[in-house]
Amino acid sequence: MGSIALLQKKRRKQFVVIAMMLLAVLVLSFLCLFVGSANMSIKQCLQALMKKGTNAHNRIIWNIRMPRVLAAMVAGAGLALSGLIMQTGLNNAMASPSTLGVSNAAVFGANLSIIVFSGGFLSTGNNPNNWDVGANPYSTSLMAFVFAVLSVLLILGLCSLRSFSPGVVVLAGLALSSVWTAATTFLQYYATDVGLSAAVVWSFGDLGRATYRTDTIMAIVVVIGFIYFRLNAWQFNALLSGDATARTMGIRVDALRFVSMLLASLITAVCVSFLGVIGFVGIICPHVTKKIMGQDHRVSIPVTALSGMLLLLLADTLSRTIGSGSALPVGAITSLLGAPFFLAIIFSGKENRKC
Amino acid sequence: MLSCNNVTFRYDRSGLPVLRGASLELEQGEIGILLGKNGSGKTTLFKNILGIHKPSGGEILFQGQNLTKMSRRERARRIAYVPQDIQFGELTVFDSVLMGRVSHFGLKASHADYEAVEKILQDMGLESYAQRNVAALSGGERQKIAIARAMAQEPKLMVFDEPTGNLDISNEHLIIQEAKKLAREKNISILSSLHDLNQAMNFGDKFFFLKDGVVKYAGGKEIITEDVILDIFDIHVHIVEIENEKVFVGGHIHGNLHEH
Repeated sequence: MGSIALLQKKRRKQFVVIAMMLLAVLVLSFLCLFVGSANMSIKQCLQALMKKGTNAHNRIIWNIRMPRVLAAMVAGAGLALSGLIMQTGLNNAMASPSTLGVSNAAVFGANLSIIVFSGGFLSTGNNPNNWDVGANPYSTSLMAFVFAVLSVLLILGLCSLRSFSPGVVVLAGLALSSVWTAATTFLQYYATDVGLSAAVVWSFGDLGRATYRTDTIMAIVVVIGFIYFRLNAWQFNALLSGDATARTMGIRVDALRFVSMLLASLITAVCVSFLGVIGFVGIICPHVTKKIMGQDHRVSIPVTALSGMLLLLLADTLSRTIGSGSALPVGAITSLLGAPFFLAIIFSGKENRKC
Repeated sequence: MLSCNNVTFRYDRSGLPVLRGASLELEQGEIGILLGKNGSGKTTLFKNILGIHKPSGGEILFQGQNLTKMSRRERARRIAYVPQDIQFGELTVFDSVLMGRVSHFGLKASHADYEAVEKILQDMGLESYAQRNVAALSGGERQKIAIARAMAQEPKLMVFDEPTGNLDISNEHLIIQEAKKLAREKNISILSSLHDLNQAMNFGDKFFFLKDGVVKYAGGKEIITEDVILDIFDIHVHIVEIENEKVFVGGHIHGNLHEH
């Protein structure tokens, strides 16, 4: 068989994998609607889905569970994608969505809002009594977002002055992260115990804070990022050969790195600002995808996004099931769920040489 | 076809220049070998020609056009690079070679690009490798894939940085023969650095000896004498003729370095 025919066969296989994952995401997200602390029966859920249930049930499905499931999909895809792009863009397997200090800056912003501007801003999800008005003040999210973006612009600005080499960007991110962490520590040291606990609770990632409005904002950023990343899949592939070689293949390496770091960080900033810190998705999903499907970005970009959705949907369902009444922090669940799988993949014999 | 005129380059504005007015001329289809000690500026000159660095002074003309004024993509369609430390991601051989065509297709490869890659793989006897993971291949095989990728750029000039640096003798020979064959068949020029003088003689048509950032000697095989080697590398070698080919034998370091 000619190499093109073989290639087409492989493409079909990849297409099947992507289609199956998409199906899994759809099925899982549908199933997620049936799980929750209200202990609604399947029949009640189905009725509510068609808006034929009781008022309370309709609202639970459409105003609590639906935005939450959508948030899991959007944020899962976004965080996993930005992890993948950071890893390729910075040529560093340990890079993650928070490499540029985005998460730490967001946490600082939120702490500032909660502790200094005396709390009360904590977004707690949809208000069932007033469900068509997004009843939550966005101030904490806004502060978190402002600081996250500030941090990104600072690093990218500094690096465009001096050097855009991956090592420098990673180190600058590390330095700035520790500045934000230190500043957060100071804030927390002077906080009242109420402020402190509110601030700490904020930093646990929680999908329950999502509303349709936040979902829409996150989705816009994630979709723009996805389109840009996918369009430039070959450019990212070329980057795997090293900066110098990529340049000789006609790639504008610095511009590509700048735009993709900016987009990846923005995705993270938006997700973290609305939902809090959800760690490890951005490390696990890209690595598992790369191990199983290879590094071709034409495939790894959609597969990573889908695996991020799957992981976060699973983690959120689990957090709502085992928390009996109160959802456990989903960030902790992603790590608990993902890390063993991750370790198994790393240490399995499939080290592997497949792509 | 390629002419570097008085190219100067410094990495740091305050630092010493690495290139101090290097000039060389290479014609279409010629194989030029760049020789010189470590640190003489070979790789830096390559990087200037490839557009990875921009010359601080002088000009580089390619088919009469100023290279520094070309966009990266225009340049990539004329000049391809086979680096010393070859890296590939976890991609198949086919995709790795297809990547060479990114300067032609931009965002999405067309069927013509796929066919071009298939043809190159056939020509280089790499068809059976097409679906293998390039990261899992041996050094010699990867070198060959890097050449195939460079060919996919449809260049007029290929630049090799120490193509045999990490290879055993048989692979070294194989790669040089392969490159030479491609250059002759497709009328592509090659500019390569090489450490091994005998391999250089076997590979090149034209030789450029670089010392302290300038091309000190340039010309065909006839210019290579024991004195030239002594001047460039500070070693005494004997040149003997075997079957009308110059062969370099022995060699000891000039001066008494170990007395100090």
